[in-house]
Amino acid sequence: MGLTRRDFIKASAAAAAFAAVGVPVVRPKGAQAAEEGITWGKAPCRYCGVGCCVLVGVKGGRIVATKGDPAGPVNKGLNCIKGYFLSKALYGKDRLTTPLIRKGNKMVEASWDEALDLIASKYKEAIASHGPDSVAMYGSGQWTIHEGYTASKLMKGGIGTNNLEPNARLCMASAVVAFMNTFGSDEPMGCYDDLDLGDTYILWGANMAEAHPVLFSRLIDNKLKHPGVKLIDIATRRTRTTKMADEYIAMRPQGDLAAINAIIHVILRDRLYDEAFIKQHVNFKRGKENAPYGLKDKEVFNETPADIKNLTFDEYKVMMKQFTPQWGEKISGIPAKKIEELARIYSDKSRKINSLWTMGVNQHSRGVWVNNLIYNLHLLTGKICKPGENPLSLTGQPSACGTAREVGTFSHRLPADMVVMNEAHRKKAAGIWGIDPNKISSKVGLHTMEMFRAIDRSELKCIWIQCTNPFQSLPNVSRLRKAAEARKAFIVVSDIYPTKSTEVADVILPSASWVEKEGVFGNTERRTQQWFKMIEPPGQAREDTWQMIEFAKRMGLGHLFPYSEKGFYKEMWEEYRKFTIGVGKDLAPYEAYAKVRGLRWPVKPDGKETRWRYTEADDANVKKGEGIKFYKAPDNKANVWFRPYEPPAESPDKEYPFWFSTGRVLEHWHTGTMTGRVPELRRAVSGATIEMHPEDAKRMGIKNRDKVRVTSRRGTIVLPAEINGRGTPEKGNVFTTFFDETKLVNELCIDAFDPLSKEPDFKKCAVKVKKA
Amino acid sequence: MDSETTCSGITRRQFLKGSAITPLTLILAGTGVATVYLRHADAQGFTLRPPGAIAEKRFLAACVRCGKCAQACPYLSIKMAGGEAGVGIGTPVIVPREIPCYLCSDLPCVKVCPSGALDKKLEDIEKIRMGTAVIIDRESCLSIRGLRCEVCYRQCPLIDKAIVIEPRHNTRTGEHTIMEPVVRKEKCVGCGICEKSCVLPKPVIVVQKTVETQKDSYEF
Repeated sequence: MGLTRRDFIKASAAAAAFAAVGVPVVRPKGAQAAEEGITWGKAPCRYCGVGCCVLVGVKGGRIVATKGDPAGPVNKGLNCIKGYFLSKALYGKDRLTTPLIRKGNKMVEASWDEALDLIASKYKEAIASHGPDSVAMYGSGQWTIHEGYTASKLMKGGIGTNNLEPNARLCMASAVVAFMNTFGSDEPMGCYDDLDLGDTYILWGANMAEAHPVLFSRLIDNKLKHPGVKLIDIATRRTRTTKMADEYIAMRPQGDLAAINAIIHVILRDRLYDEAFIKQHVNFKRGKENAPYGLKDKEVFNETPADIKNLTFDEYKVMMKQFTPQWGEKISGIPAKKIEELARIYSDKSRKINSLWTMGVNQHSRGVWVNNLIYNLHLLTGKICKPGENPLSLTGQPSACGTAREVGTFSHRLPADMVVMNEAHRKKAAGIWGIDPNKISSKVGLHTMEMFRAIDRSELKCIWIQCTNPFQSLPNVSRLRKAAEARKAFIVVSDIYPTKSTEVADVILPSASWVEKEGVFGNTERRTQQWFKMIEPPGQAREDTWQMIEFAKRMGLGHLFPYSEKGFYKEMWEEYRKFTIGVGKDLAPYEAYAKVRGLRWPVKPDGKETRWRYTEADDANVKKGEGIKFYKAPDNKANVWFRPYEPPAESPDKEYPFWFSTGRVLEHWHTGTMTGRVPELRRAVSGATIEMHPEDAKRMGIKNRDKVRVTSRRGTIVLPAEINGRGTPEKGNVFTTFFDETKLVNELCIDAFDPLSKEPDFKKCAVKVKKA
Repeated sequence: MDSETTCSGITRRQFLKGSAITPLTLILAGTGVATVYLRHADAQGFTLRPPGAIAEKRFLAACVRCGKCAQACPYLSIKMAGGEAGVGIGTPVIVPREIPCYLCSDLPCVKVCPSGALDKKLEDIEKIRMGTAVIIDRESCLSIRGLRCEVCYRQCPLIDKAIVIEPRHNTRTGEHTIMEPVVRKEKCVGCGICEKSCVLPKPVIVVQKTVETQKDSYEF
């Protein structure tokens, strides 16, 4: 391959020199003396979607230090506390180092051959008697792009099923569908530079201070530098983000649908919109309403072209008349006066406005609708595709964008915005993969919730889970755990530690993690970042790509992966890259990424990155004089959707009087399988708590740290109360975190999902709370 | 162990005074309640006592070493000092790095104290003054170095009162914020949860003896 790790190390010497002159590195004290004999390599952080760059110091085959990379454009040498202890996540005492096969109630050590032969025989057996749709693979937004690409080619191009899903279904699917039905292409037009350049930031259901720590520190710096910068936090819980915001607006759960519609009503009523922008760039549409909640198995809901009505702007205005600020107040709890005020802020021509959101909007039984409504605000006011003025959906995994979305490891997707339902797309994919187009099934595979429910229904015979922990993270998880424990399907789990998912596995495969392999991640702002392998994985642990390809060979599909051992990563990359060229999602040659701290696609013919899409100011796909052009949408126009209010799947009642919501803390990540192995982080935050409003707690005689029993219709759990701590839910709401593997909080969550995106709503269900 | 707890450091007078109030001392000594070695008093001779402890000198005289406060503590935060504590042998101590005080709102330790060494007038946990948290090593503090740590702040039971964040521009990167945790001396109760949660091997925030705010005539 063109550029080796050695070359990189040479190159980074220059970077280090730069660091010495310009940006001092944050490094452990006394590190200078200890640095002798350490080789440094670059890598993106393993945790969230921010995409901080770290330098990894290796000595004697072991990581001895990590530090923020001063050359990293996102973090400039900084990290959050998880990133500071990054290398410790690899060195937990209980790393999986050998394949294990279930013998009755015991897991017995096995060789790779035994394990892989067994998996192949089970998959063959299932396919022979029940067809290819009886097997599945469940991956991750933490998969590298190569891993996701291997999985997609294996399942869609090889086995011939679209039963391939990433855990990103649980966090980003609503954002994806809205990007597609609004702009015709996934992922944002803006980038992190907007956090430096804008002056008004409206957060919809995002605790950025804890979920996107370094990015938040960048946003707050803009505020410190420019006193006019305004940060408005609209949420159902007061958080550390609230503390640093200029204004907090309390909202009832599901209130966003009503509040945004009412804001739009005011913008239309008072003619605050940008008429010229609308004329040139916007279509109006109405979709299917009265949607279900996915609570019944096999419930089908789709918004087909036949369900979509085209509207004129005038028709749209008439339809929006019903959503008065008073109506908005009644449903959302946000005062009508505030709604009027927000409409004026959104349409203020002197302000550069940005909307930021994460799981509050995406994990929502009408998540696609809320995404659509936020885009409506920006499209109606023309505040989009301009430096410092954009909507931005923040991601939570290091490669939810790069792998799950760009490679398309969803049950309906193919690489680069293509879908399995489209014949031309299947043909293009088959052409690049060198297979018969008929091999790719046109039938959309099982989405995540249905995939795991299908195990309970004994319809799915085999599932291979890599790099994620669904038997802790899925909602209504006890139903799914019971099905797995009853051995209703053959379950393979590849991971680096024992987890709640390996507990129910038939085969456990030890995986290589992060810099124990070479890889590429893609972050929130379309930044593609590459790293080289720096250390060997422990014991017999192997890369996920190796595991899949060895399995493919046993399935007679080895020909799909004709890459040489030496050129493996580059050759696969160049093949994948063909999907992206000329479709506005262009990636650079592999070597380019080895030299830089990431590039934001589309990468221009001259090798430069694109910061803002759809604008002639920066996007090579828009000609000079065209201004803004949504060139991925059918008639180069974005869609403003009419999306009304519909209630959540489950609301509090007499028996279950509290709203229940789940989320993150800064110190831990996802299901805690990595951060839970870092003693310092466990010391800092040792377990889940249940946050309550102080008045609710007082009324019920619950004091701080009292044991509290929280019960939903699906499960019950005892947690210590946290009152007046880092977060305070609004009255009538309780909140907990999902990282603690000793507390399966997802047993309480309802498995309702957005009918369009199939993303579950982890933020809303009804519980009762009692002092235990 | 038995002989240790009864013989060293405690004068006969103190001992008798104590036993007059509660014969439990003997029972405790007999059953050998753990007198684990924990931490020497810090350089200023400061030992973290349970909530409501009266001034150290008077505390040493008043405390009857009965161990009731330790028994009442639901988190095992309160331990009885061993021989290394000198005259303080058998007195209750809290070693925050092990188990800090979690500030029970009903103050069970204070309630059971038979000697007045823990002042029963204390009812509001925010009025506790066991000590004061101090950032003793600013150069090592990750938050002050610009990292997004602030664990001590988020874990502080009096978050935004006893520890606040003072944000300032990070001149090193030019585009981030240093979120510095700052202890508000007048609000800090000295529970030591910050010291416990600090992620560095040697905590950079520790509880020290509360220093009275110095009075002067300068007004600002």
